Amino acid sequence: MSVLALRLAGPMQSWGSSARFARRTTESAPTKSGVIGLLAAAAGIERGDDEALATLADGLRFGVRIDQPGSRVRDFQTAHHGVTGASMPLSERFYLADAVFVAAVAGETGLLTRLFGALRAPAYPPFLGRRSCPPAQPVELGLRDGDSLQQALTDEPWQAAAWYRRRHQDEAMVSLTVLREADEDEHDADHQRDQPLSFAAEQRRHALRTVVSRSVNVPNPDVVRQQAGRPRHDPFDALEESV
Amino acid sequence: MFLTRFRMNTARTGARRLLSSPQVLHAAVMASFPGLLPTQTAAAPNGPRVLWRIDQNARAEVLLYVVSPEKPDLTHLVEQAGWPAAADPGNPGWQTRPYAPFLDRLAQGQRWAFRLTANPVHDIRRKPDEPRKRTAHITPVHQMGWLLDRQERCGFHVVEKPQSERLLPGGTTYRGHEHHGDRYRLTVGDRRGLAFDKARAEGKRGNRVSLVTVTFDGHLEVTDPVAMRRALAQGIGKAKAYGCGLLTLAPLDGTE
Repeated sequence: MSVLALRLAGPMQSWGSSARFARRTTESAPTKSGVIGLLAAAAGIERGDDEALATLADGLRFGVRIDQPGSRVRDFQTAHHGVTGASMPLSERFYLADAVFVAAVAGETGLLTRLFGALRAPAYPPFLGRRSCPPAQPVELGLRDGDSLQQALTDEPWQAAAWYRRRHQDEAMVSLTVLREADEDEHDADHQRDQPLSFAAEQRRHALRTVVSRSVNVPNPDVVRQQAGRPRHDPFDALEESV
Repeated sequence: MFLTRFRMNTARTGARRLLSSPQVLHAAVMASFPGLLPTQTAAAPNGPRVLWRIDQNARAEVLLYVVSPEKPDLTHLVEQAGWPAAADPGNPGWQTRPYAPFLDRLAQGQRWAFRLTANPVHDIRRKPDEPRKRTAHITPVHQMGWLLDRQERCGFHVVEKPQSERLLPGGTTYRGHEHHGDRYRLTVGDRRGLAFDKARAEGKRGNRVSLVTVTFDGHLEVTDPVAMRRALAQGIGKAKAYGCGLLTLAPLDGTE
């Protein structure tokens, strides 16, 4: 068993799990369907191939760490048909700008090794939730031994951008949120409908999956050593006599 | 000789008025001595004199230290800038202790931690025919050099760091100048440029006072107890009326 760690960073990302119709919202962290879709695309799995998808979706447990939350951007979209000129439905699309996440999938080592190779030579290029959101840096961080998502997400160095790390330069440890699938003995889980069943073009189908929220402390590589303040100095300490 | 400590209540307007002008604070300190009339000059040229200093250790921990030949009465400071309701006869709001026993105990070879707020200046002329003019030392290296120039006269020397703790090879900067902060247990900080108008004397225009003060912290070793006592009682350097020149000693914390 291993864990494959990914860095999801780009100018814009959009991870919908409950988005329907003309209002296309985004979750504040990547969804399992989005990341499995990215891996499936890299591995060259076609949209209708539900069996190949199931080996990924069921064989991998998913977790994500919010390294830099980013900000939500609303796009009010008007469009006209290219040929007829008829207006398309008005839609609102939401994006996360300037966000950085570390996503991790845990599963069988052989499968993850294949996916890691596929990310380095992807069949279809990866994108961050929407085709219009390319990643800013290579997505793959590497294969990690062990099968604990929590451990892998705790050990991964902080991936936030330099300007964001500079804002936190007086914190030796930064506290980051981890959202991952629950273990069997964890009962405080929430549910989210982003377990992909089919990416078929005619009908996408998703099942519920568990999500637990944990926080981890990650060392900040850019911490500025606080200048030692003035030493304590009390001249009365030198006087033994009291009056 | 007496050493006095008074904590300012920084939430009070009176404390802010005192802290905003060294001249006002000096007048208030001098008013603490019942035997000293304002018309008198403060001290004989080479006798002990009243020295004071403000130590700001934290945002709301501002302490006034006074070294004086006479025992002061700071009741007026407590009333303006202290905690008058908390004062009672046993605890008037300030602490005064005799300083002479400590001065008598000073002996050659003793090591102390010290703090000094000073006004490091020198007199320079830029052209040969120009009159000399008093000018502040601006950079920490020069300010440290100013103190190191005076240490022998004042009866101490600043302790040098062991070679293992120095960061610059040979204790020099890249230009080949010695870096005092690397060689000695000495830091300089809290540089303040003070500029204020002297209160107008009758019929005269108030004139502007501007000075640079810095606070030195470090370790020293006593070399000449007599000179050291004189430095502790009379102060070091200029601007003694504006909170400069008071050198205080404290025990080293076990590490040395």
